[in-house]
Amino acid sequence: MGESINSNVRSHCVGTTAVVYASDYLNKLTGERIERECKKQLESGARALVIDFSDTELVNSIGISILLGIIDIAEKGGALVVFSDVNSETVQLFDMLGLTRHVVLAANEQEALANLSPSPPQSQAIGH
Amino acid sequence: MNHNRNEYGRQILGRVRRDEFIGRTAELERLISHAKRSNGQASSGEAHGILILLAPLAGVSELLRQTFDSLFDSREELVPIYFALPHTETTAVSAAIEFLNTFLLQYIAYRRDEPALCRASLTLNDLVKLAPAADLVWIEELVEAYNRQRFGEDDRELVRFCLTAPDRVPSKDVRPFVMFDAVQLANYSDSSIPFAIEIVRSLRSGGNPFVLAGLRREVLDAVTRAGGDSEALAVMRLDQLGDGDARNLITAAARRQQVSINDETRDLLVQQLEGSPFFITAMLQAAGEKRLALDSYLACERLYVDELMGGRLNRYFSSVLEHVAPEPETRASVIRLLCEAAPEGKRPAQFESWRRRLKLDSATVEQLVRLLHIQELVNCDGETIDITGSSTLWQDYLKSRFRLDALREPRALVVADVMADALKRAPQTIAHHYRRAASLPLRELLGKFNSQLVPRCLFDYVDFAAAYKGVTAEEVSAGLDADTNLVRLPQVFHTASGVSLSSALRPFGEESSVVAHAFSAGVYTNQNEIVWLVARVESKLEANAALVEKWLDLLEGVARKSGLIRTQVWLIANEGFSPEANDLLRSRNAFGSSRQQFDILTDRLSTGEPRQSDTANEFQLIFPMGADNEMLAASAVEQVARRLNFTAEAINQIKTAVIEACINASEHSLSPDRKIYQRFQVENDRLSITISSRGILPGNFGVDTEGEEESTTTAESQTSDSRRGWGLKLIQTLMDEVEFERVDEGTSLRMTKYLRQNS
Repeated sequence: MGESINSNVRSHCVGTTAVVYASDYLNKLTGERIERECKKQLESGARALVIDFSDTELVNSIGISILLGIIDIAEKGGALVVFSDVNSETVQLFDMLGLTRHVVLAANEQEALANLSPSPPQSQAIGH
Repeated sequence: MNHNRNEYGRQILGRVRRDEFIGRTAELERLISHAKRSNGQASSGEAHGILILLAPLAGVSELLRQTFDSLFDSREELVPIYFALPHTETTAVSAAIEFLNTFLLQYIAYRRDEPALCRASLTLNDLVKLAPAADLVWIEELVEAYNRQRFGEDDRELVRFCLTAPDRVPSKDVRPFVMFDAVQLANYSDSSIPFAIEIVRSLRSGGNPFVLAGLRREVLDAVTRAGGDSEALAVMRLDQLGDGDARNLITAAARRQQVSINDETRDLLVQQLEGSPFFITAMLQAAGEKRLALDSYLACERLYVDELMGGRLNRYFSSVLEHVAPEPETRASVIRLLCEAAPEGKRPAQFESWRRRLKLDSATVEQLVRLLHIQELVNCDGETIDITGSSTLWQDYLKSRFRLDALREPRALVVADVMADALKRAPQTIAHHYRRAASLPLRELLGKFNSQLVPRCLFDYVDFAAAYKGVTAEEVSAGLDADTNLVRLPQVFHTASGVSLSSALRPFGEESSVVAHAFSAGVYTNQNEIVWLVARVESKLEANAALVEKWLDLLEGVARKSGLIRTQVWLIANEGFSPEANDLLRSRNAFGSSRQQFDILTDRLSTGEPRQSDTANEFQLIFPMGADNEMLAASAVEQVARRLNFTAEAINQIKTAVIEACINASEHSLSPDRKIYQRFQVENDRLSITISSRGILPGNFGVDTEGEEESTTTAESQTSDSRRGWGLKLIQTLMDEVEFERVDEGTSLRMTKYLRQNS
């Protein structure tokens, strides 16, 4: 499994799934970085996105609106989006604003990847 | 005059003993403290002069005399000088010379510690002989200089010389504290010297502390005309005595004059004499001299009419009129004009019509009207002359003078009629007073609304009764504290009696209804402008539907006729409203409260001042907008919340709410200083956070937000462009209470999180 860091956004690919890591505070700046990374991954052929929130402590409403934009883009391109390792407070926020109806939540990255692919995936770096 | 020292000090100029000086104790202390504080601090920048702005007949002389006595007795480095401009002087020059004489007399009396000298009649040469050795040189020089000035040709220079005499006291030992009384008399018609202005300038140019007292309209006018920095002067306003002080004054004066009174006559005198220390003292002195008991309305009114027709009251009003119009013919015409203008509801007279009727030139009429205006016997705006609001005593005097002088009616008939009127009016005066005392303080309460949030049930009798009837006050209070169904009151900026809007409300009494102009949500826009029409409904039992309908029709009719667009009717009935009446109120969007609800509301509405306990546990943080600085706020609030033992989940919610509020403040306010102001207020069971910023008040922000949200939609109904604006929704979901505080600019969002067992 290869990993790249682009504009402070960590990501790696597992098959046709791109895993993108959100930072500790998801706001306008960090949200836009994730958005750019996700777009890049989709343009590079990713068929699914896992956005991992294991480092994320706080999310603000601008960050959430950007996540919705990412979901829109993914849906238009026929890609799936899974959020992984989201803490309970952030889940509560996503619920409040209706995000959870558009994405699958997974307990962690492995579960997310498992949901997206029934067979064990082969990790490889793509892009960057 | 007793100058012996007693437990209250020596009585020197005071007409009553210190312990009998009633109603102005706070003002006395302020003057003494001002004098002592100003001593030796002329250049400190602190105001060294006090203007006492006096309502007519509110009385200031005794206050200044008592101040004189206290300072004289304290034997400090401050020499009190009290000068009341005498009625007997007719020119500015003679008045100024009298001032010089009084100044030296009182100065030497103080330096020699001989109070009796203050009352002596001495020439300047006599005073030089009495001057103590330490002051002999400068006093001799002053008198010599005066004698040179006196025979000069410049009267104005002489006036200035006399008025500035206190500045010639060498400052090394003592400093004079001049108290100038009765400035309104300083307009000598035969003089080209603007004496009032010279007084103001001389006092202000010297470095000594001083008091300048006089009728408010005159003093303000003189200070303005004198030019200079009027803001450097402190102001004290003296009005008529309040009912309590007036009662005490009557009781004390009656005891001193050995006049028998009872509670009923005392209360009548308080109301009838309009709380004026001068009238009260005059009446009791007259009763004492005539050995009359004032123990019945009849005795009071008999004395009143005697005084009005030929006693002290008569002399006072006559002297005012003579001052205003020295020529008898003009005086008679003025009395006629004032009497004709008196009937209630009559429109103000035109200045031009007065000029024609008086057959005088404009300048003379202008001066005459100005003097009446200063005495507050008329209100003149330059074009119209209005006499509404003048004293009942004055109107009684005018009427009697008119009938006697102009109509030439027999004196016996006039006396009998005035007395009959006074007797008929006495019970009405007292009834009016009792009604006023018992009336609900509607205007005071409305003035406290100030955009505060209160439980909605306080404006709905049936809802309130269902929840709280038969419940203890403590339980009611606890229930209301926990009530989340709140209504935001408007910010009231003007109140008036309903009678001022419509005479249809007059039969119910002036105090029964109020018109309150306000802005809802504290936002000054056309759509937020609202007028509350509030009325107290008289009903021994729960007010019924018929009565409520009558009031609603009446108030709504008044609103229509007055062109009021957005209104809120609020009726208050002592025992509340019947269910049918309550339904009617609801159907017409009106509020209805019982006396109990009104009282609770009064208790709950603070004056807007933060309580001491509110600021005791408060943290404040100011940081620049941008650069993720909202995280600093989140970290700070996290530390505060931890101290209160909030759970991790609650802390996260608070942090998120703070972040959202900071983002809102940054995005919405066009802040000039680009700063966010935060206040964390810790109480036992809650954490309140206020996030504010300067700048514009966004049009769609915080306006009528109760029950509404900035954005009520979620992801499903949002396009990507409209997904912003969820901040307020998040805050409202995460916090227990969220409210926009009223601010003049920018935004101020207050949010509260309660500490619960599981939070």
